[in-house]
Amino acid sequence: MAGGDEFYIGYQRQAPAGLSRFQRWTVAALLLAAAVVAVALAALQSDFDPGVFEFGVVRDFAGVVHERPHPLLLVDRPGHNLPEPSRFLLVAAGKHGADGEVAGLDGRRVRLRGTLIHRQGQTMVEVVAGSVEPTGDATARPAAGAVDLGVQTLRGEIVDSKCYLGVMKPGRGKPHRACATLCIRGGIPPVLRVETGSGEYRHFLLTDEAGGVINHRLLDLIAVPVEIAGRVLRTGDLLVLEIDPTTIRRLDAAAGSS
Amino acid sequence: MAGQLGERTVSHAYQAVGWNRQKRVYDLTLLAGVVGYLALFVGVGAMLSPRATVETLIIRAFGTAALLLLHVVLSIGPLARLDRRFLPLLYNRRHLGVALFVLGLVHGGFSILQFHALGVVNPLLSVLTSNGSWSELAGLPFQPLGLAALAILFLMAATSHDFWLANLTPPVWKGLHMLVYVAYGLLVLHVGLGVLQAETHALLAGLLALGFAWIVAIHLIAGRRERAADRELQGAVAEDGFVEACRVGDIAEKRARIVCLSGERIAIFRYDGKISAVSNVCQHQNGPLGEGRIIDGCITCPWHGFQYDPADGASPPPFTESVPTFRVRLDGDRVLVHPHPQRPGTRVDPAALQEES
Ligand code: FES
Repeated sequence: MAGGDEFYIGYQRQAPAGLSRFQRWTVAALLLAAAVVAVALAALQSDFDPGVFEFGVVRDFAGVVHERPHPLLLVDRPGHNLPEPSRFLLVAAGKHGADGEVAGLDGRRVRLRGTLIHRQGQTMVEVVAGSVEPTGDATARPAAGAVDLGVQTLRGEIVDSKCYLGVMKPGRGKPHRACATLCIRGGIPPVLRVETGSGEYRHFLLTDEAGGVINHRLLDLIAVPVEIAGRVLRTGDLLVLEIDPTTIRRLDAAAGSS
Repeated sequence: MAGQLGERTVSHAYQAVGWNRQKRVYDLTLLAGVVGYLALFVGVGAMLSPRATVETLIIRAFGTAALLLLHVVLSIGPLARLDRRFLPLLYNRRHLGVALFVLGLVHGGFSILQFHALGVVNPLLSVLTSNGSWSELAGLPFQPLGLAALAILFLMAATSHDFWLANLTPPVWKGLHMLVYVAYGLLVLHVGLGVLQAETHALLAGLLALGFAWIVAIHLIAGRRERAADRELQGAVAEDGFVEACRVGDIAEKRARIVCLSGERIAIFRYDGKISAVSNVCQHQNGPLGEGRIIDGCITCPWHGFQYDPADGASPPPFTESVPTFRVRLDGDRVLVHPHPQRPGTRVDPAALQEES
């Protein structure tokens, strides 16, 4: 047993000098080590994803609602000189889709209030509950039909679009899987994130082959590497991948078991 | 906390102990360390990654702080066994435990709020069911592991007061608090199967492995030392069953020598021209009495300062703890001890030294 002859009991007011010195050095070393660990761990985190959630900022939006497959707001963007209105995905607060907010308003022009979520050209609005108000009967301009880009086989990760576009970082990968699963269960539009090389990504809204909602059939396939074959449709600035969920192939170790 | 009677005597009695200067310094240092760590982590993180979300930085700062503190908590015991100058850190170790739980609670609470609240499933149910599958290693759910560890830390923090030590009885309490190793294992898995599946910098995994190796290593080394000390004494056995334990000169005044007889550790104390032997195991938390010393005529445990009369192994009144005693006699300068323990609190006449030293 090392430690010399000094003896100290915790309830004594003052430790012997030698012990005090030892304690001070020990504590100083510990604090220094903690500081080094704090800086090292903070610095070793991988870069955070882009994406912005304007938390606390509520804006007004106007456009035409599409209810299917997931609630969308078609917004004219005069400054942008685009042939088609932009398509903003609509979601509700928390981990819920906005289906209830826009029910029965398919094709109608509305006003609504909400908070912007955007990432690299993809835009979403978290709708303030009860703020959607129809302002006219007909669509101002019928939306153009979808452009069929053919059947493609894509590899990527299924994410919940809300967290991924900026509400959470990271909004993908295993640590986020539980949350993504819960979001997709709650009606948040599922999106396939596909790397197109050199750090660029494309995002495909997932529907079934009839353009219907398939959230509940994806729950075991979220936040893992997958390969999906399906028909790609482009409507305006939105890419949709129509798939048969039973053909999704997992690419990780559990490929066999799913 | 242990109570105090007069200036020195300490045993189970749950009156509030004055917050003496040492304790205040200890807690202030702990607080400063924790706050400093959190501020550094969040500050450096926000500076290096302006796109970071503050929730994520908070979750990570508290989680890593808790894990770091757990390494400290687990290191103090073995370090104190290897070098007793670390003992003062042990004295208020429970404060570290409570701080650890609070850090874990903030980490877990924030994570549950962020990842599991506001959904279509009850958040706690969601923690247990919604992440991953049990059928593959990398996909193993990691959040339930963290929750289980937090539950253990809660139990330990909630029962850290000596009130519980006395009411649960020391063996049960000790067993409960050994669960800290289970919690540590769960947390290593929680981190390895969780955030390290996404944060793949090799240094991060390396640091976790290093921490694990350190904890295992110091426990093995301290354990090896202890086993060496536990080697059964091979002293000559006299006809009356007494065993030669050591020489008088082997024991420093007011100190003890620890020997192992019939599988039990015995502390042989020398004080005021007398020799007495008691069980080495403190009734409080199994502290090594033989590493303590005689203060004001009482054996004083080095861990938290419980005291025992060397002649009968009993704590001075009004306290009621007592340890087994052993009969001793002298043969010249040889100290002989009878390996059969007397019931705790049994008075045994000390062996008187001939020539006063
Ligand atoms: S006083 Fe706590 S173990 Fe002896």
